Amino acid sequence: MRKLSEVLRDWEAVIGLEVHTELTTLETKMFCGCRISHDDEPNANVCPVCLGLPGALPVPNERAIESIVMAGLATNCEVMRRSMFYRKHYFYPDMAKNFQTTQGPVAFVMHGHLDLEVPADRADERPTWASVAADGATPIERAADGSYVAPIRILRIHMEEDAAKMVHVGGAEGRIGGATESLIDYNRCGTPLIELVTEPDLRTPEEARLFMEKLRETFLALGISDCSLEHGSMRCDGNVSLRRRGESSLGTKSELKNLNSFKSLHDALAYEICRQAEVLEAGGVVLQETRHWEPSRRRTVVMRVKETADDYRFFPDPDLAPFDLTDEFVERCRARMPELPDAKRERFASQWGLTRRDAGRLAGDPDLARLFEGAAAQLRPQEVPTLANVLINLAPSFGALTMLQLVSITELLFRDALTFAQAREVLGIVNGTDQMPIVVAGDRGLLQSTDTDALGAIVDEVLARCTDQARQYRDGNRKVLGFLVGQCMRASEGAGNPKLFNQLLVERLG
Amino acid sequence: MTSVDALSARQIAAGIAAGEFSATEVARAALDAIASRDNQTRAFLQVSEDLALTAAARTDAARAAGEALPPLAGVPVAFKDNMNLLGTRTTCASRMLESYESAYTATCVQRMLDAGATPLGKLNMDEFAFGSTTDSSAFHPSNNPWDIACVPGGSSGGSAAAVAAGEVTIALGSDTGGSIRQPASLCGVVGMKPTYGAVSRYGVVAFGSSLDQAGPLGRRVEDVALAMNALTAGGRDPCDSTSRHCEQDFLAHLDDPIEGRTVGIIPALLQADGLAPEVRVATQAAATQLADAGAHIVEVDLPNMANSISAYYVLASCEAFSNLARFDGVRYGYQEPGCATLAEQSSLSRAHGFGPEAKRRQMLGAYLLSSGVYERYYLAAQKVRTLITRDYQQAFAQADVLLMPVSPTVAWPHGAISDPAALYLADVYTISNNIAGNCGISVPVCLGADSELPIGVQLQGPAFADARLLTFARALERACQMEGAVAPSFAGRGGELR
Repeated sequence: MRKLSEVLRDWEAVIGLEVHTELTTLETKMFCGCRISHDDEPNANVCPVCLGLPGALPVPNERAIESIVMAGLATNCEVMRRSMFYRKHYFYPDMAKNFQTTQGPVAFVMHGHLDLEVPADRADERPTWASVAADGATPIERAADGSYVAPIRILRIHMEEDAAKMVHVGGAEGRIGGATESLIDYNRCGTPLIELVTEPDLRTPEEARLFMEKLRETFLALGISDCSLEHGSMRCDGNVSLRRRGESSLGTKSELKNLNSFKSLHDALAYEICRQAEVLEAGGVVLQETRHWEPSRRRTVVMRVKETADDYRFFPDPDLAPFDLTDEFVERCRARMPELPDAKRERFASQWGLTRRDAGRLAGDPDLARLFEGAAAQLRPQEVPTLANVLINLAPSFGALTMLQLVSITELLFRDALTFAQAREVLGIVNGTDQMPIVVAGDRGLLQSTDTDALGAIVDEVLARCTDQARQYRDGNRKVLGFLVGQCMRASEGAGNPKLFNQLLVERLG
Repeated sequence: MTSVDALSARQIAAGIAAGEFSATEVARAALDAIASRDNQTRAFLQVSEDLALTAAARTDAARAAGEALPPLAGVPVAFKDNMNLLGTRTTCASRMLESYESAYTATCVQRMLDAGATPLGKLNMDEFAFGSTTDSSAFHPSNNPWDIACVPGGSSGGSAAAVAAGEVTIALGSDTGGSIRQPASLCGVVGMKPTYGAVSRYGVVAFGSSLDQAGPLGRRVEDVALAMNALTAGGRDPCDSTSRHCEQDFLAHLDDPIEGRTVGIIPALLQADGLAPEVRVATQAAATQLADAGAHIVEVDLPNMANSISAYYVLASCEAFSNLARFDGVRYGYQEPGCATLAEQSSLSRAHGFGPEAKRRQMLGAYLLSSGVYERYYLAAQKVRTLITRDYQQAFAQADVLLMPVSPTVAWPHGAISDPAALYLADVYTISNNIAGNCGISVPVCLGADSELPIGVQLQGPAFADARLLTFARALERACQMEGAVAPSFAGRGGELR
């Protein structure tokens, strides 16, 4: 198979995503009062409604509808004033009623978009000839560094209920075929799920990955889900087809499943694009099929071929009256929305003088952003970029740092009392305790002196001892300065600040 | 010595409150009446003796403790077997659910119990409420107490038969296209289909969710009104998102005069082919009786009613297909033994668990909902639904209630009509009421001049005018000689109260 970069010179990859997100932060399921918790004993959180017992009726969870409206507002969607639930029929025991309650042609929110900012280091998959966005109108202009912005349209976000979890025992690969026994856990059945469907506007695997990252950041900020790809509370299917450069009609697509990490999403799409190119270039045809990503073997394999469209016998659910969402309801949802990552990033950048990249890293993770803002409030403004540095480059290695510890380590680093390496050592000690970095660093003798008089005495002592090196420096061998700084550090037993030693040596030797 | 069947619900509750007899004695009398009558009517699928005696003992204990008794204290009631009641099976008269134990209690059942009623058991029906004879019960047919060679009607045939034979004072039925009103008419009792949303559907096994409505059957309008008080007490049911608050005292205006109020009749309906002359005569006589009571009779039209049967069988079959999809034998209900695959197990469990009519309706629904077909039928039927609803609005702008037949004929002998389509057509007078979500009631007015079998006439009212409907029903009842009537060959047989 040819490499992705070569394939994308000749072919345009047309990619759309379907993203399912479980609203895990809600207390109760979509249509009943059962607790949402997948960790409990199997079938602990069930009732006549989510078990589909005869006579049981669904009652919609208003909080779930608030969540989907917020998701829609955050992705620039239109809130549809009247929408309803539909029944989608298929016979499988993971859906207790043998139909899934989902939405029909009109979803709660529709017709949105996200502007995808593709940074320079992730921009090179997109061929330079692809210079118009998928709407056919918006030009994609590259910045000097190659970064660009691509608008990605969102077709709809609709609400549905999740299915039960099935475990097939004794069969091959955990499939039902050949299994001797199948176990069903209905704890997950009825969990509210929102499905976002993009238009096929993505053009590279990297854009798909960025889109997912951005969506996850947005939903995390809204607090509507824990958004765990690993545990399946956020799941993504990718649809991809190829067409020759310059063509406008769509090719046959395949649908990719099991994309349970950002890397899998990227790599599976990259593989599939190359595979389809190989098929097409050999004169073959791409079949409309569902393919499964095998991360260990780095390939997609056929799950099933779609010869005919499934007939789900959709029709409006007569147990659930149509929803007429009022302006008041929508405004209440809007008022509950927190600051979104994009706005937060811009604010961090302008308020604290951070780079947009650092600001973006902090703004994208609600917990990190909260920690940052809390700690920043206790620091002087000029110290805040150091705090950002700590949070981005140091803190991630330690799971349990408190805000006060972060404030303390930032202050120490800002006044050069510790090197970065020493800060890492100190944080390793205080992590998970209530000890303060400044105390630990002091106890361990790590605190670098910034007392110029005391350090000056050490410098004088070293220069008196190392006369050869001092002469070499004066003769123009600047490299020898490092040796002299090292001597000073040794003489101070590591307690002096190397930058200050450097400065004092240069002064005295100059 | 009086038989319990001679007493109204109010008399029973009052008698218990006054200490004339105990709730336990009433329960034992009802059990005795069932024991001596049900072998002929075959109205019951289960008699819940333990539940009845426990509930009665509780009522007696409450009285002994000096507590005020609830309005239906000790009144013998029974429930159509599509209503969940803890401690009983809910079979829907189907092999599919033959051994299905209720996992909870339906709201409408619970509200009757909360009003003090004594639960005597579960009543026969057409399988999953598909039918108008009760002959499609997977277990046995039920018989019309006025002539046990005849059907009691359906699908709530067990409910109507049990009340008509005096086995219970009040029964609950469910009505998707006439399933309370038609058997009430054929058995000579009062049967009310409340406004859609007035009574919770939670716990009533769904047939056509947008059409189904539970309601009471009794031998007196007053008993039905008392049951409506119980069924709506507490307001809307949070477990049924289509239910509405309509709690009120339905007795308060029961005896209001109808003088000066208007009753609409639809001349075209009375000229329809297939309407038995004795039913036409009885309906016209009822109009005269209401006029004699001071009502104005006006002629109105429901022009789209001719399309109601087609629309109904599309909508109801689609919903039935969907609602019955859950019965696959995986977790409960009939499970075909010895199957190799899930698909085989589901298919054969359904093939052998459902009877012919249940399969016919589901296959029809599955076809009508398939892509390409859905647009032509389901969407067209929804448009007809809108037109019929609009017709009613116009008719009710001219008349307080409408008067019409319930069934084109009196009860017929078992097996006399075997063509399903002929049975579907007999639903013409009742169906459009469900389509529009209005309220309707069948009131027994006389015995047929030719058949000597009961004839009921139907009153229909606009949505949430259930109390008004009962006022007119009571006016009609006063003018007729059928109040409290027990089918003659059963009256007083067993069930004596001390």
